[in-house]
Amino acid sequence: MKQDLNNDTDDKRHSVLVIDDSEDVHRLLQARLRQENIDLLAALDGRTGLAIAEQDSPSLILLDLDMPDMDGFEVLRELKDGSSAHDIPVIVLSGLHSPADKVVAFDLGAVDYVTKPFDLMELRVRLRAALRMSDLVDMLARLAHVDGLTGLWNRAHFDDRWAACISENNRHGRPLSVALFDLDHFKSINDTYGHPAGDAVLQSFAKLIKRECRASDIPCRYGGEEFALIMPDTAPEDAKFVCDRIRTELAALSWPAHPERKITVSIGVSGTDKSVAVTPEQWLEDTDKTLYRSKKGGRDQVTAIDVESGNMVEASAKAA
Amino acid sequence: MESNTGNPELIMSEFADDPDMCDLVREYVGMMPRRMEQMTDAFEHNRREQLIRLAHQLKGSGGGYGFPILTDKAGKLEHFLHDMTGDDLAEADAEFRALLDVCSKLAA
Repeated sequence: MKQDLNNDTDDKRHSVLVIDDSEDVHRLLQARLRQENIDLLAALDGRTGLAIAEQDSPSLILLDLDMPDMDGFEVLRELKDGSSAHDIPVIVLSGLHSPADKVVAFDLGAVDYVTKPFDLMELRVRLRAALRMSDLVDMLARLAHVDGLTGLWNRAHFDDRWAACISENNRHGRPLSVALFDLDHFKSINDTYGHPAGDAVLQSFAKLIKRECRASDIPCRYGGEEFALIMPDTAPEDAKFVCDRIRTELAALSWPAHPERKITVSIGVSGTDKSVAVTPEQWLEDTDKTLYRSKKGGRDQVTAIDVESGNMVEASAKAA
Repeated sequence: MESNTGNPELIMSEFADDPDMCDLVREYVGMMPRRMEQMTDAFEHNRREQLIRLAHQLKGSGGGYGFPILTDKAGKLEHFLHDMTGDDLAEADAEFRALLDVCSKLAA
């Protein structure tokens, strides 16, 4: 699934991998599909095709069946059997015309079957249809991970990515920080000014986090008025600096629905600049405790710790 | 390039007038003598699998380059080679010659 919150599929340029042992067919497809909004990748054998599929994650694969060494059926089998490229749609483009071959190809996971020699218009419309369907599936998968009110990633996405980031930290010792945000006295906003005003606060805060974080950061709505920000490759000192900026900017915002009432946020940050043996759950629990310290300390503040030592850290002086 | 349209023996591509395709078809036709050599070599040395593969590739590409008859003749040879029970490729002589004949007449 794409990891970009601003993913827009309307004018997306797709890449299509052609796996065919005939150079004539590659040349033909290059010429015939020139008008389509796609980039063609080429593999002259099944093994190379599988490697390119794993590495480049094309939007679609056009696959010949009758190839020496590794035929298209084997490629399909390997592709769909645990490969990281298993959800890439495959259109078989083959000179094999028998119903039995088609049945096997569909059973192995092909989404369509076009026979050679192919009719250009037919191939184009089938290609477009498969790419449209693939975009829809991507969009649905993405929506299942996006919070409807704020447009940030949701809790399910946070859980997936947090586990992945921790394992990346464990393997490579890369810095990693996470922040938990809790809007101060949020319930009273809803109670005093109504839920639309509360929703507007949540949406504005989400926009603020998105604007302030880097493309590689992962901003999420953690639940209710709580938000989380995963910051890969960020030491806790730098994470605290970023969070302090978010806190300050929020406190400076004016609110048309309640100009007399400012909104503030309490933030807990924990992180490390090296590999640490802490479980995702323990790390979050520690972060939650630092958030509690910010609340306890009077709210509208950031508390940050080194997750391994538990020592408090100060914000770095440099801009993150 | 000199036009071949006046020679009734030659087989013109259906895409000869398609500006997107004419260079490609010319290149395809230009490679045909090499293909014929490879097929003749496989046939004369009784290399059935190699001949099947070469015929299969022509079957798959011929129509796409505007030569449906090439797809037809290559398919017939491939089919015959798949089905033949003996080991001597001479059994496929007629189908092989028919394909070579078509290959030799292709023109852009």
